[in-house]
Amino acid sequence: MKSIYLHQWQRFRRAPMLVVSFFLLTVVFVFTLAGFQSDDKFTVLALVKEGSSDQAAEEWIDRLNESEGMFFDLREEEEVREMMRDGRRNFALAVGDSDYRMVVAAEDANLMRVESYTAQVFREEFRLMQAEEAGGENIREDIQSSLEDPVLTVTTETIEGAEGTFVYDNQIQTLFGMTLFFSIYTMIFSLMNVTEEKRTGTWDRLIVSPLKKSQMYIGHFLYCFTVGCAQIVVIFLLFKYGLGFDLGGNFPAILIVVGCYAFAIVALGTLLMGLVKSSQQLQAVIPIVATAMAMLGGAFWPIEIVTNNIVLFLSQGMPILYALDALKSIAIYGRGLADLAQPLSILIIFGVVCMGVGVNLMERRG
Amino acid sequence: MLETEELRKVYKGTAAVDSVNLFLEKGESVGLLGPNGAGKSTTISMIASLIAPSAGDVRLNGKSVLKHPNEIRKVLGIVPQEIALYPELTAYENLKFFGRIYGLKGEALSRRVQEVLELLGLEDRQKDLVKTYSGGMKRRINIGAALLHEPEILIMDEPTVGIDPQSRSYILDTVRKLNEEKGMTVLYTSHYMEEVERLCDRVYIMDHGKVIASGTKDELKSILSGEEAILVEMDRDYPELVKELDADEAILQTIETDKGLKLIVPKGSRLLGKIFQAAERHGAQISNITVQVPTLEDVFLHLTGRKLRD
Ligand SMILES: Nc1ncnc2c1ncn2[C@@H]1O[C@H](COP(=O)(O)OP(=O)(O)OP(=O)(O)O)[C@@H](O)[C@H]1O
Ligand SMILES: [Mg+2]
Repeated sequence: MKSIYLHQWQRFRRAPMLVVSFFLLTVVFVFTLAGFQSDDKFTVLALVKEGSSDQAAEEWIDRLNESEGMFFDLREEEEVREMMRDGRRNFALAVGDSDYRMVVAAEDANLMRVESYTAQVFREEFRLMQAEEAGGENIREDIQSSLEDPVLTVTTETIEGAEGTFVYDNQIQTLFGMTLFFSIYTMIFSLMNVTEEKRTGTWDRLIVSPLKKSQMYIGHFLYCFTVGCAQIVVIFLLFKYGLGFDLGGNFPAILIVVGCYAFAIVALGTLLMGLVKSSQQLQAVIPIVATAMAMLGGAFWPIEIVTNNIVLFLSQGMPILYALDALKSIAIYGRGLADLAQPLSILIIFGVVCMGVGVNLMERRG
Repeated sequence: MLETEELRKVYKGTAAVDSVNLFLEKGESVGLLGPNGAGKSTTISMIASLIAPSAGDVRLNGKSVLKHPNEIRKVLGIVPQEIALYPELTAYENLKFFGRIYGLKGEALSRRVQEVLELLGLEDRQKDLVKTYSGGMKRRINIGAALLHEPEILIMDEPTVGIDPQSRSYILDTVRKLNEEKGMTVLYTSHYMEEVERLCDRVYIMDHGKVIASGTKDELKSILSGEEAILVEMDRDYPELVKELDADEAILQTIETDKGLKLIVPKGSRLLGKIFQAAERHGAQISNITVQVPTLEDVFLHLTGRKLRD
C-alpha cells in the first residue's frame, strides 16, 4: 500500500500540470470573484417616499446601514430618478415613515436580495417596537447583544414556509464554493491513475504480484484523498493569511470537514469509474458531474437563495452541499464540531456507500 | 513443478482455452506456439492467477494455484504481451517500483535494479523517461520489470513483437542466459517459430484453444519426417500452375507464399524435373528453387492447414 501510495506521488512529480492548473484556477477564480470586495460595499440608492418625513427616513437608512454587506445611499428624489432614467441604476428604495417601496426600472439580479434584506430589517424593527411597548425598556439592548453581528440578513421561505435567517458572506461563499468545486476535478482526475493502469496493463502486473488488491485500491484512494485535502487546505490558508479572509477561529474543525468531503469525493470518483467503461468516458463525465453538483449543491451561489423545489430536493444528494454547510457553520456562525455531526455523518455514509458500490462494479467488470 | 489440469476458459459461450494440459519441469525452457487468437495469452493469464479458469486448475508443486494464488505470485515473473510500464517515469524508477512491490528494499533493491539494467544493456539510458525509449528498449524494460525478484519461473507472452532484429536477438540471448545460467524455468509464448526453435527444449502447439501437438522439437519434426518442402520462387503468381500442381497426386500440399510456392512432398521423391516442366508450360519464370527439411512452421501447417502468421 505504501509503495503504491508513494509511487503515485512520484508520478505526480513527473506530471504535476493537471493538479497545479486546478490549484491555480481556484486561486484565480476566488481572487477575482471575492478578493477585492472586502471594502467595496454594494450600494443601493434610496430616496424619501412622498409625504414622509426626512428624519424618519434617515433613521431607517441608519438602521439599514448596520449591515456590513450593503450600503444605502439616501439622495434627492430628483437625482435618483435621473440616474434610473439614464440606466445607471435599475432600482432604488423609497423609504417612508413606517413602510418602504421598491422603485424598479428594470430587472436586476440584486433586487431580490435587497428587497428581502429591507423587509427583514423593517419586520425586526416593528417587532422590537411592539416588544418595547408591551414591556421591558431594555429589550432592544438585550436582543441586540444576543444577536450575532450579521453581515447581511435575508429571510428565505423554505418548502414548509418556515423562516430561517442566513448570513451572506460573499468572500466565504466564493472561497468555499470554488475551492470545493475545483477540488472535485483534482481528486477524480487523480483517481484516473487507476483506469490508466488498467488500460496500460500495469494494473495486471500489480495483481500478479504479492500485493493485495485492497492495498492497491487503498494506496490510490489515499493518494487522491491527500492531494484533494492538500489543495483545499493550502488554498484556505493562502486566502486566510494572504488576503485576510475570515474563516472563523476553529481551523481544526475545518480540516475535519475537508477530510470528510475529500473522502466523499474520492468515493464518488470510484463510483463513476465503476459506472463508465473507459478513461475517455470518465474524462467526459467528470466536468458534467462536477458542474452539476456544484450548481445544485450551492457552490456557485448560496443554496439559501434557491427557491426551486426540485433543485432543493436534488441538492440533498450532493455531498458538496453538506460540506459547504458545515464549513459555513464554522466560519460564519462560529459553530463547533458537535453541531456538525449530521452533515459530516452524511458525507461519510455517502462515501462508504459509493466506494463500496464503485469497487464492486469495477471488480465485477474485471 | 508447474502443471495445468484440463484448463478451460469460456468467453460468451465460446471456449478461448479448452482442456489444456501443460507441464513445466524445473529449469526447462518450454515454448507455447500458436496463431493469433489461439488462446496463449488466456492460458498464461490463468497460470499466473490473473484470471480465474472456467474449469480445471493450475498446480505449483502439487498445490492448487486457484486456492493459493500467493504461492505462485511470489515465484513467478510474467512479461505481458503489451508493454505495461509507466511511460512518464524513468526506466530506473519503473524498475525500482516493480522491485518494491515484490518486497525488495534499500540497498538490495538498488543493487537488483542495476543488475537487471546491466543484463538488459540499458544502464546508460536508465535516467531517461521510458516514453523517450525506442520500441525495442521498452520491450527490454518490460522484461526487466518481471526479473527484479529473481523469479523461479519466467513466463513471457510474445516478448519480441514488433521490434528490430538486433533487439530481438538481444532479448533471446538474455532469456537463454537466464535459463542456462540461473536455472530459471521459462515458458515462452510466440508465433515466431525461429524463436522457439532457438530457445526451447520442448514445445506445445495451440490452436483454437486446444493443444494440438506437444513434445521436443525433434519429436514434433518427426511428425513430418517422411516429408520435405520445396520452395519455388517465381516472378509472379500463376494460378493455372498452382491448379495443375495441386491436382498432382505426388504433391501432398501446395501452398502459395509471398515469393511463389511451397510444395510439401514425400521425402526423396524426384519431382524437380516435373516442376520445371510444368512451369515452362505455363510460362512461369523460376528464379530460385530450394529443398528444405521441415521446420516447426511446417509442422504447424501440417497440423492445422494454416500458417502461424498471416
Ligand atoms: N476478455 C475477453 N473477453 C472475450 N473474449 C476474449 C477475452 N480475452 C480473450 N478472448 C478471446 O479468446 C481467444 C483467445 O485469445 P488470446 O488472447 O488468449 O489469444 P492469443 O493466443 O494470445 O493470441 P495473440 O497471438 O493474438 O496474442 C480469442 O478469440 C479472443 O477473442
Ligand atoms: Mg496473446
